[in-house]
Formats: sequence, C-alpha cells, structure tokens
Amino acid sequence: MRAIFHRELATYFLTPIGYLYVGVFLSISSLIFGLNNLSSLTSDLSGLFSMMSYVWMLLTPVLVMRLLAGERKQMTDQLLFTAPVRAGEVVLGKYLAACTVLLISVLLSLVYVLLVALQGRVYPEELFTLYLGFTLQGCAFIALDLMMSSLAKSPATATALAFGANLFLWLATVASSGISSRVVTRLNGFINLYDRLLPFLYGQLSLANILFFLVFSGVCVFGTTQIVNARRWSGQ
Amino acid sequence: MVSVSANQLTKRYGRLTALEDVSFEVQEGQVLGLLGQNGAGKSTLLNILSGYFPPSSGDVRVIEKDMLMNPLHAKAHIGYLPENPPLYTEMTVAEYLHFCCKLKGVVSADVASHIEEIKQITGLSDVSHRLIAHLSRGYRQRVGLAQALCGNPEVLLLDEPTAGFDPSQVVEFRGIISSLAKRHTIIFSSHILSEVQAICQRVLILHHGRLVADEDLRQKDGRDIRRFRLRTAINKERMLPALRGLPSVSRVKITVSDHTMSEAIIETKSGSPFERELMTLFSGLQVPILALVPMQDTLEDIFLRITSGANAPREA
Repeated sequence: MRAIFHRELATYFLTPIGYLYVGVFLSISSLIFGLNNLSSLTSDLSGLFSMMSYVWMLLTPVLVMRLLAGERKQMTDQLLFTAPVRAGEVVLGKYLAACTVLLISVLLSLVYVLLVALQGRVYPEELFTLYLGFTLQGCAFIALDLMMSSLAKSPATATALAFGANLFLWLATVASSGISSRVVTRLNGFINLYDRLLPFLYGQLSLANILFFLVFSGVCVFGTTQIVNARRWSGQ
Repeated sequence: MVSVSANQLTKRYGRLTALEDVSFEVQEGQVLGLLGQNGAGKSTLLNILSGYFPPSSGDVRVIEKDMLMNPLHAKAHIGYLPENPPLYTEMTVAEYLHFCCKLKGVVSADVASHIEEIKQITGLSDVSHRLIAHLSRGYRQRVGLAQALCGNPEVLLLDEPTAGFDPSQVVEFRGIISSLAKRHTIIFSSHILSEVQAICQRVLILHHGRLVADEDLRQKDGRDIRRFRLRTAINKERMLPALRGLPSVSRVKITVSDHTMSEAIIETKSGSPFERELMTLFSGLQVPILALVPMQDTLEDIFLRITSGANAPREA
C-alpha cells in the first residue's frame, strides 16, 4: 500500500494535476479571503470556509479523476491487480494520496490565518475546529468521488460522474430543506456532506460530526474496493 | 515439479465463451508456447493465470498455491507482461522499476542491486533516467519485461512480447528470453509460428477458446519418427518393393510417378539407420537418387491441420 501511496503522491506533482488543483484552490480561496475578510475588515474565517466547502464540489473531482479511471485507460491496472497486493490496499493507497494533496492545500491556506493574526486576533481553538471540519469534509468528498470514478473507464467520464454526485448531494440538500417530511430529512442526514460542516463553522467540536465524515469516507472507500473487485470478477 | 497448473478453466463473457475447459500443467523450467489466431483466447488465458481476473469455473495453481484461495502467495511467484505493457509514462525507467519492486515486496535494502541486475538483463542501463513517455516501442517493451522480472518470480507470463518489433529487435528479444529460460518457467503467447518453434520446448494451441493441441516440439525435432521425400529415376513399380524391403522403413506413400522417375514420402522407424540402408540399396541397384529431403513436421503443418477443420478435434 505504501508503494502505491508514494507513487500516487509523486505523480500528482510529476503531472500538472497537483499544481492545477493547488493553484485553483489558492486562487479561489484568496479571492474569497480578499472579498470576505480584507474588504470587510473581519477576522472571522468561517465565512471563507463556508464558501470554500462548495468549492470542494468542483475541485475534488480533479483530484480523483486519474486515480482509478486513468489506470483503466492506460491498462496499468493489470500491473496492480497481478501484483501481490489486495484491491483494498490499492484503493486505500490512492485515497490517502489524494487526501495528502488536499491536506497540503489546506495547510497552505494557513497563510490567511497569518494575515489575520498580523492585524487582528485569532482564536486557535475555533480555528482548529474549523480546519478539522473543513479537511474532513474534503476527504469525505474525495471518498465519494473516488467511488464514482471507479465506475468510469476514462478520466473525463470519471470527472463528470464525480462532479455529478457532488452536485446531486448539494441539490438534494437544497430540495430536502423545502420538504417537510421526516423520512426525507432523515435520508438527507445520511448523505448531506454540506450541512455537516456548519457545527464546525460555529466552533462546535462534536464527535458525532467527526464520526459522520470518517464513517462516510470509510463506507465510500469500502464501496470503491467492492466495485473494483466486482469488475475483475466479471472480467470486463 | 509442477510450476503452473490450470484445471478445467472456462471463461464466459455473458453469452460469449472465451475459454472452454482448458487444462494443462507446466513443469519447472519449461518454456511453453501458447499459440492461436487472434481472438483464440490467449490473452484471456494469461489474464486468468496471472490472477488479473478469475475464471468463470476451474482453478489455477502456481507453485502449489491456489490463485483463488491464496492470491497473494500465488501472485508473488508470477511476473506478467500483458499485451500492452502497463507503464506509467510520466515516470523515468528507474522510478518505474523502483515502484514495481516495492509493489512486489522486494526488501528495501535489495531494491537497488535488484534493479541494476534487471537493467543489465533487459539492456535498459542506458535509458535508466529517461521518461518512459520518450522511449520507442521496443524500449517500452523491454521496460515491460523488466517490470515482470521485478521480485524475481519463478513464473513469467509473456503476452505477445515481440508484437510490433522490427526483425532485429525480435532476434534480440528472443535472446533475452532464451537466457531467462535458464532461471524461470516461461509461458509465452504468440500468433507467429516460427517464433514459438524457435524458443519453446512445448506448444499449446488454442482455437476458439479450446485447447486443441499439446505438442512437445523437442521430440518432433528428430529423435522420434522421421519423414523423408525421396525422388529416384525409376518408376513406382520398381521403387515400391525395393523400399518396402528396407527394415527401417515403416510407411511409404508414392506421390508422383511416371516411366522415368517417381517420388515417395517415407516414414522411418525411430532411431533407424535409414539413410545408410537406402544408399547401400540404391547403389547396389545402380539407380540414381535424384533427391532425398528430410521433412519436418512443422508447427505450420500442425497448426493448419488443426485449425482448418470447422469442428476441430478435441485432441490432436
């Protein structure tokens, strides 16, 4: 698994994808930071991360598009699945590599905290909660998108499927808020990646929400492994 | 010892049967050729043997390890070069081989020396630091082979390794494979008959997903029954009884005959001094021999004989 993790991580920065992702992440976040914090002179970063959580919708498909679909297209999956490693290790190695790149971009965004700290006050506990929730949310999006991309044969299709899933979750969130049915609200609670960030934005460090993101990610990674194995069984 | 055994392998893709009831065993150190037309099921068979996907029914054992029950142990003994070499073109040759060694669980301390050895065997030392994307097709194929050698597996599965090569590369590649045959069991697929004949000791022929022949090529090369084409300056009425009188001849078939000459195909008993007896006989009769040509039962003969019939026989 470590070999796969290292290779994937290196590949992000051997190809333009890693730079593209980090570049877009920093451009959008600095734009929002400028509009949200600098121009309105506020030290509250929760607004920035609230908006950035919708940017995951666009960005995480870029991170995952090549991971599984790229292997299928280049037929390099023949190397991985004839080597003495489990499919689960392959999927997990790839997932963790994508999460690491995401973490790099999140750590780079600490520069905004630094800028705020120069002129105003920062509250480390609140910021920690904010960053934890934001990162976990991003990793959950990666897991979901990885599962979607495991259905695709090419990176382009993978991107479309992953973006579609992210968009669907968002639309489901919006739509379900207008329906006063307990079943719909419950169902939405299981898949709603967007609203789960809200407590973190308010500075609440709740174990339930941390567990939600972790379990959601775990289920998607497990699902991805099952899809990958199922495809090998059918020999397609 | 048996290196690879395939037991009643069948693979279905929906209603299409790609492989049907294929069974064979390969002994340690053997070079086995897998021959068949395009679409005969060669790649499917190799994909199953390598553990890339499982068969619909039947089982595979590699060095006594069952591929389905114990995949990690079975796969550890296999190096596989698929039809399209599985290369990460954004990496250099050295980086790629390093990754392959790690993937196959080579101990960190041994990786550098192992890669050096593999590069020597496959002739990659000069391109070690070049991007795979910039390599020619021939070199990419070598990188693919190098990848299969990582971890020093007992069994090598090579799917059409010489496809797309120019003739000099083919010869060179055969040399590499022959040298590997000393240390590995090799299963090698091809649709080029001469290639299989040049490298392999044994050949399996697949046709429409069925195993239609299992021939030992080394035996065909002379130790067994030999065949000759003989042309003499006498007619068949005189030639036939003369040949039938020879103790080493088991069968004679006249193919051409007129009043000045006749031609026959002769099958001899194994290990008999046929040429000596023939020359003594004809010089005693004072009949000139116009031609005596040893015939080889070539792979072409076998292949065409088997695959030409609409309903190919189960065993040849």
